[in-house]
Amino acid sequence: VSRALDLAERAVKAAEGDQADASVHVESSGFARFADSAVHQPTLIRDETVTLRVVRDGRVGCATTNRTDDQGLAEAARHAAEAADSSPVDPGFAGLQEPAPAPTVEGYDEATAALTPEEQAEAAAEAIAGAPGLGLYGYYTSGVTEIGVASTTGLTASQAMTDVSVLTLAASEDSSGYAEATSWRASDLDPAAVAREAAEKAARTCGASEIQPQTFRAVLEPYAVSELLFYFAFTSLNALALLEGRSYLSGRLGEKLFDASFTLHDDGLDPRCYPKAFDMEGVPKARVLLVEEGVARDVVWDRRTAKQAGDGRVSTGHALAPPAQAFGPIPFNLAMAGGDAASVDELAERVGDGIYVTRLHYLGVVDPREGIITGMTRDGTFRIEGGKVTTPVVNLRFTTSFPALVAGLLGLTEGVTLVNRSDFYDERYPFGTLVPAVATDAFTVVGTGSGPGL
Amino acid sequence: VHDLTEKAIDAAAGAGAGYADSRVVQRRAQLVATKNGEVDSVSDSETEGIGVRVLVDGAWGFAGDPRLSEEGARDAALRAVAFARASASRARTRVDLASIPPASGDYSAPVERDPVEVPLEEKIALCLRAEEGMRRPEVKITEATVRAMRETRVFRSSEGASVTQSFAECGAGIDALAVSDDGRVQNRSYPSAHGGSSAQTGWEFVEGLGLDREAPRVGEEAAALLTAPACPSGITTIVVDAEQMVLQVHESVGHPTELDRVYGTEAAYAGTSFLKPDDLGSLRYGSEHMNITADPTTPLGLGTFGWDDEGSPARRQPVVEAGVLTGYLASRETSALIGRDFGGSMRADNWSRMPLVRMTNLHLEPGTGTLDDLLADVDDGVYLCTNKSWSIDDKRLNFQFGTQIAWEIKKGKLGKMLRDPTYMGVTPEFWGRLDAVAGPEEWTMFGLTNCGKGQPGQHAHVSHGTSPGRFRDVQVGVRK
Repeated sequence: VSRALDLAERAVKAAEGDQADASVHVESSGFARFADSAVHQPTLIRDETVTLRVVRDGRVGCATTNRTDDQGLAEAARHAAEAADSSPVDPGFAGLQEPAPAPTVEGYDEATAALTPEEQAEAAAEAIAGAPGLGLYGYYTSGVTEIGVASTTGLTASQAMTDVSVLTLAASEDSSGYAEATSWRASDLDPAAVAREAAEKAARTCGASEIQPQTFRAVLEPYAVSELLFYFAFTSLNALALLEGRSYLSGRLGEKLFDASFTLHDDGLDPRCYPKAFDMEGVPKARVLLVEEGVARDVVWDRRTAKQAGDGRVSTGHALAPPAQAFGPIPFNLAMAGGDAASVDELAERVGDGIYVTRLHYLGVVDPREGIITGMTRDGTFRIEGGKVTTPVVNLRFTTSFPALVAGLLGLTEGVTLVNRSDFYDERYPFGTLVPAVATDAFTVVGTGSGPGL
Repeated sequence: VHDLTEKAIDAAAGAGAGYADSRVVQRRAQLVATKNGEVDSVSDSETEGIGVRVLVDGAWGFAGDPRLSEEGARDAALRAVAFARASASRARTRVDLASIPPASGDYSAPVERDPVEVPLEEKIALCLRAEEGMRRPEVKITEATVRAMRETRVFRSSEGASVTQSFAECGAGIDALAVSDDGRVQNRSYPSAHGGSSAQTGWEFVEGLGLDREAPRVGEEAAALLTAPACPSGITTIVVDAEQMVLQVHESVGHPTELDRVYGTEAAYAGTSFLKPDDLGSLRYGSEHMNITADPTTPLGLGTFGWDDEGSPARRQPVVEAGVLTGYLASRETSALIGRDFGGSMRADNWSRMPLVRMTNLHLEPGTGTLDDLLADVDDGVYLCTNKSWSIDDKRLNFQFGTQIAWEIKKGKLGKMLRDPTYMGVTPEFWGRLDAVAGPEEWTMFGLTNCGKGQPGQHAHVSHGTSPGRFRDVQVGVRK
């Protein structure tokens, strides 16, 4: 029995209620953060967090604790009971998940789990050595996360996951380039190669010039595609947003909204992503078709939104832990189909004249209903002229429609890349998006900013 | 727990740390959220642990452990030393810390009614009442939230610092989402978007917010926005309300004056700053009406404390005076780098995170006159209220912010309501267009809990006091 499942079962036993379930996060991680080519904020974290939900006479209450001795769990049980007793009956509560076999997934690697702080620091040093002559900023991190779910229904589920990421910004006063890599296997990553990619990109950004804002034909690298896609997904591929009319897909399911080359799944089972066997209510994961050849097919669901929708809807296995369920279900395993372009160079040929975008910064959703997202490009923005990536341009302010961007796809690379999407706030929970680079005829730039570099 | 902080320091020193500090944090937090007249979430969370930060041969190491036991304290210390030692062998420079006297003493937030001890039934009832007031046929979703927190922090350092601090926070907010028959969506919030507003004090703060009183207006405005005309594009005069001014100060003054960003530590994630160390005392940040102060002594501020998370005492420090940059937000390390003692802004999200340079309470000092006085001197412009969206570049220069609502200003008076306003600017140019700030009677402090920074990520709770301000010749308009 895993530590996480053991804790979840102990928490359920400590619960005072008609029914209860518990979800547990256990984390052990190391973060070798570096700045100006020196490790600067090395952080080691151990923690274990128990979220206990109890049901008493139809009233639901939650408590969370990292005090995992018997006294701490008893205290959490008391707090959860008080929360339930203080609440009116919850008519939207969908009950607890019945036992269901979770799929067998990959996502755990012994060698990655065994990485020591010294090895994490060594990997950071390898990255730093890969970018001589420039300052390197970023991190090497690896961790082990165990998830356990138990319920008075008899449900038990547990999974151990590993994750490792290297993120690099190679920069000088007037140049900057970016690259990152992520996997659940440390052996998949070459920190020095990632840093070299960032440094090579940086070298091409010196002498960046202004460009006139307009709607551009553009090539977006996977880093940029991933961020736009996840911001869109958070606000639109979420059943709660759909039901409340806030989603771009509200009232539009079944319609052909995007280019036929745009097909999107959420696939917790795909070993190329961060595989997940079940959600935080213990519902087994499945492959969910979200967009099929440009037609909006579905969003992701949890038990509560499925009950709200009725009509035979069931959870697709995308619930957060109970206190966070106000956000609705979240697609943590987005996987976008690749296309037929052999490389980003081929995408640039399809664009002809336009811009090339490596990475984005500080996105904000201006209008979730219309999928309008704003942000800046950074660390590698270039002109495309005559089908070739040419000279660097300054950082660009974009305010663009994601639906229009994927409606105007000119091509996608055949290869897809897993891009980490976790910023490692709160409990560690690895997730990312599997995306190609894309070419589009609709990337709207509304202003220019500062040049690349520190 | 005082003994544990001492044992951690001893273990770190015994393992070779040249400097060590340890923090024990014990936190209990509650959140109540209601939606459409029903309870959406009632949660009660506890976390505790010890974080140990060390310098070994001039290199940092940090480790956090949830076990408040001798074993947990020792393990955290030894792991921090091991990580620092692994990093030190490749370090090119040594970290130096600005000298400060060892801190000693206690701090407690002023609390009349402990916000955590207020019965959950009372919190739920308050939310449901406030929601009721927002109801309109067009308003499809009403939401109300309240939060409460108590926290104790015990800090000790190998230099002899020893402090115990007790914090209390609470806050609340309401939101109305209106949806038209053809699918258009608009929202309004009070007292602030993105989770309401919080303060470091007792439940009396939440009771004083007047959620019931404001709820009908919030619902009416959300509904009215559905049929309001779009804010027109163009270069015009804007008057920014106090709440949106909070966001403006936070993003375009707070973050760029964090000295770790100036030195590049945050380059890979949050970004750097357009400011350089040599800009101190000479860079024109804005007009003479712009005065910004960092003040961790402000009563009720979420960034108020006795000492920061490396033992520097709370003190009020100017950051911008009459439009000129005169201060930075700093740590002991960055104070040593710049050669001036600006320390006192090191804060950690929790026991499991290393302190970073963070805002405390960063205020736009009031000018003179009322909001009506600001409006009176506008022939043609817009009045922008309540943040809706925000984005700013990695140097904190180019920004685009959106607000929930605006009103046109015609010949000194507010006119018709406008939807979907946004405005853009470049930080020092924008602040240079500030030609008036309203006076103390309009000055309001807001507390926000969603300031993100660091890798691994950390949330900070900060407050900003602001008055409405007027800016000339600003790019306004809906951009799609």
